[in-house]
Amino acid sequence: MLGRPSELVVYRSDGLPGYSKQPRLAVFPRTRDEVIAIVRLLAELHVPFVPRGAGTGLSGGALADDVVLIGLNRLTRVLSIDPVERLAVVEPGVVNVALTRAVTPHGLHYAPDPSSQAACTIGGNVAENAGGPHCLKYGVTLNHVRAVTAILPDGEIVQLGNASGEHDGYDLLGAFVGSEGCFGIALDVTVKLSPNPPAIRTLLADFMSIETAARATSAIIASGIVPAALEMMDGPTIRAVEASIYAAGYPTDAEAILLIELDGLAAGLDSDAARVEAMCADAGARTVRIARDETERARLWQGRKKAFGAMGRVSPHLVVQDAVIPRTRLPDVLASIHEIATRRRITVCNVFHAGDGNLHPNIGYDANDPDERARVHEAMREIMAACVAAGGTITGEHGIGLDKLDYMGLIFSDASLAAMCRLREVFDPERRANPGKVIPVHSCREWHGAPKGAWKDDCA
Amino acid sequence: MTAPNAHPVVARTGHGAAAPAATSPGAPRTTSDVRDMVLAAIDRHTPLRIVGRGTWLAGGRPVTSAEPIHLGALTGIVDYTPGDLTLTARAGTPLSEIAAATAAEGQWLALVPWGGDDGTLGATLATATAGPVAGMFGTPRDVAIGIETVTGTGDIVRGGGRVVKNVAGFDLTRLMVGAWGTLGVITEVSVRLRALPECDETVALPLNGESSLGTLLAKVRTAPIGPLSLELISAAAARRLALGEGSTLLVRIAGNAELVAAQRAALAAVGDVVDAPPNVWTALRTVEPTEAAVVRLSGTVARFAETWSAAERLAAAAGGLAHASVQRSVVRVVMPLQDGALSEAGAAALRGESRDTRIFERLPASMWTSVAPTAVADRLSRGVRTAFDPHRLLNPGILGEPA
Repeated sequence: MLGRPSELVVYRSDGLPGYSKQPRLAVFPRTRDEVIAIVRLLAELHVPFVPRGAGTGLSGGALADDVVLIGLNRLTRVLSIDPVERLAVVEPGVVNVALTRAVTPHGLHYAPDPSSQAACTIGGNVAENAGGPHCLKYGVTLNHVRAVTAILPDGEIVQLGNASGEHDGYDLLGAFVGSEGCFGIALDVTVKLSPNPPAIRTLLADFMSIETAARATSAIIASGIVPAALEMMDGPTIRAVEASIYAAGYPTDAEAILLIELDGLAAGLDSDAARVEAMCADAGARTVRIARDETERARLWQGRKKAFGAMGRVSPHLVVQDAVIPRTRLPDVLASIHEIATRRRITVCNVFHAGDGNLHPNIGYDANDPDERARVHEAMREIMAACVAAGGTITGEHGIGLDKLDYMGLIFSDASLAAMCRLREVFDPERRANPGKVIPVHSCREWHGAPKGAWKDDCA
Repeated sequence: MTAPNAHPVVARTGHGAAAPAATSPGAPRTTSDVRDMVLAAIDRHTPLRIVGRGTWLAGGRPVTSAEPIHLGALTGIVDYTPGDLTLTARAGTPLSEIAAATAAEGQWLALVPWGGDDGTLGATLATATAGPVAGMFGTPRDVAIGIETVTGTGDIVRGGGRVVKNVAGFDLTRLMVGAWGTLGVITEVSVRLRALPECDETVALPLNGESSLGTLLAKVRTAPIGPLSLELISAAAARRLALGEGSTLLVRIAGNAELVAAQRAALAAVGDVVDAPPNVWTALRTVEPTEAAVVRLSGTVARFAETWSAAERLAAAAGGLAHASVQRSVVRVVMPLQDGALSEAGAAALRGESRDTRIFERLPASMWTSVAPTAVADRLSRGVRTAFDPHRLLNPGILGEPA
């Protein structure tokens, strides 16, 4: 337990700079029983709390503003691995890549692979419904979680979902996944494991403009080939990576690269790779090369996964943005983002999951410069509005947290936000778990159709 | 709250029956029409029975006294940009219409639920009905990316959106899938699509003697194949589909020509392979009789053979059939009814102990309480229902929920 302000400073922020909130107290249970005891004590005292995994979140979701922070990162046991059923049961603090390492001897892996996978926890992944490059083919956390044992904010322990994946009644597990710590704390998580693909082809295509790379992306998606991953990085990102210790051998004079991975059975994979290569060339790729071996593949991926780290060299602070657009809109939305950046005199580095239209415009800036901060803020709002106008959404994998509260009204009506609020109150009538996140407070008005008190018999 | 005046219970038409009065006068054509009807129902204290094309009226528990709200006119594709591989349609749109529109662009909605394509998109999601490709592409919860509903409070509520990746807000989409309309009348749905594979073939591997099931499945599971479907069908089902006299494993392999040829060769090394007719999946999806009890058993990979035997015994007791989605270890048992009732042996078999988790899709009305305890009696489920349908107006009784 940490209670001194000097000790708590470390927990004032998560992966997203620009926000800083000091918890009143931080507790780090080592066992499931300790988690239960803490949650039940807080319930008795009606004290709000914020669950936190590794603190790698990018929406300010794990910030505790003068309330109790519960760190789950010491619950790190893999409770069971069943290679026949391809299931594992883990505690919430198990690190994403540690789970994959634990099941590697069985030829299996855990599919969702956020870029922070070397640090982020499964509990945090469940809270955020985390994605990652390979979610293009294999799906996000929601599609890989079979069951969760959760402790609700009032101390009740519930089983959501089951190992078989078949269920009757409401999909409460589906509601829990991605609830950003507002519905309770996962005590254990049953996940589906995926067999390692027998064959992999990793291609690097480089382009002299973002627009041609975007056109290649749209062509590949429309062709029906489903790459395991299809990532794009723009010129500024390429150059930041190549200047860092994560240099991957990307051509530094290119304005965009696509990192495309195909996997599956070996038969027919080379002809798919040849088709992808041809589509890149048709769109205007300068060169396309295929990784010769696992070492080269790992190096190409390292550049991508460590791109955020590499950008740390460029500016003191970095906003890692997150939005999704329909895939046919990539060329024009990327052009809009470029226009916004130019007009607001800021630098945007784009590194993102192009295959599913999940943009990550990253803005490097100096948070101590109020004028630059204001311009960054305005640019972010304009970028979100452009993505929404294109038919997209304000977050694909990072969550709403604190950072995107103001944008919720861009995509959801008051009635929809109020409905979400009511759903939260089913799990947490006192709204003590991760207070102030996800739904703007003013949206939690009285549900106009419901007679006053109608729901309380059941939920209170 | 229940209706003060008794309303006639909606006639329970059969599975796969034609659409009843889809365009009856006053049937809602827009979401706001649906909202107006729900608001009127609140005022009149009259519960509603949500009806699409009527293919699912025999599914779920009997709905208590309620007035039908026909969504058969709430149809049409709202948004379809093929390059995005997503589609948005009104809930009453038949799956067949979506299949035709997407096939024209070389794409498909990979739901293909049991029961065929007569039903609506909304009903498929409301009932969370999966089909033979769910092992590869997932169940409706994996395919839906956004849902619009009119809740029991008359609010128009949207979850998700029209893009394939989205974590904005709490997940109302997942909540609505499989809720049987009890949290909201689904009015519009967005789904992800897939490209139709270049080659798409189905082969059959007949089982030779009962002892070979375990051996065959072990070989198939380790063979270098990545099938779209791996469906084991009982001898009775095989006979109905003219696929021979014994149990048969159907394997749907797809991809580019080279990949399909390689998988075909891999299967030939496992057992005797014969080509299945191209319509085999449509035939299997619509094989069940109109009047039937349907139960799903979910087992595990390790216990699959045991679950399959239990399913075959259940099917045999009622003169029915069984089929199993091997990739998901889910067995579906279809038990025909005579004069609305199960045979005595069939009913006794359903009342017996089971080591497998059973989920009932359809049952004679009198049997629900004895064999299928409700799955929504827990505090959270009751709370969710109350939050979205405080007056118990929507399909009351269909989940066996406490009054």
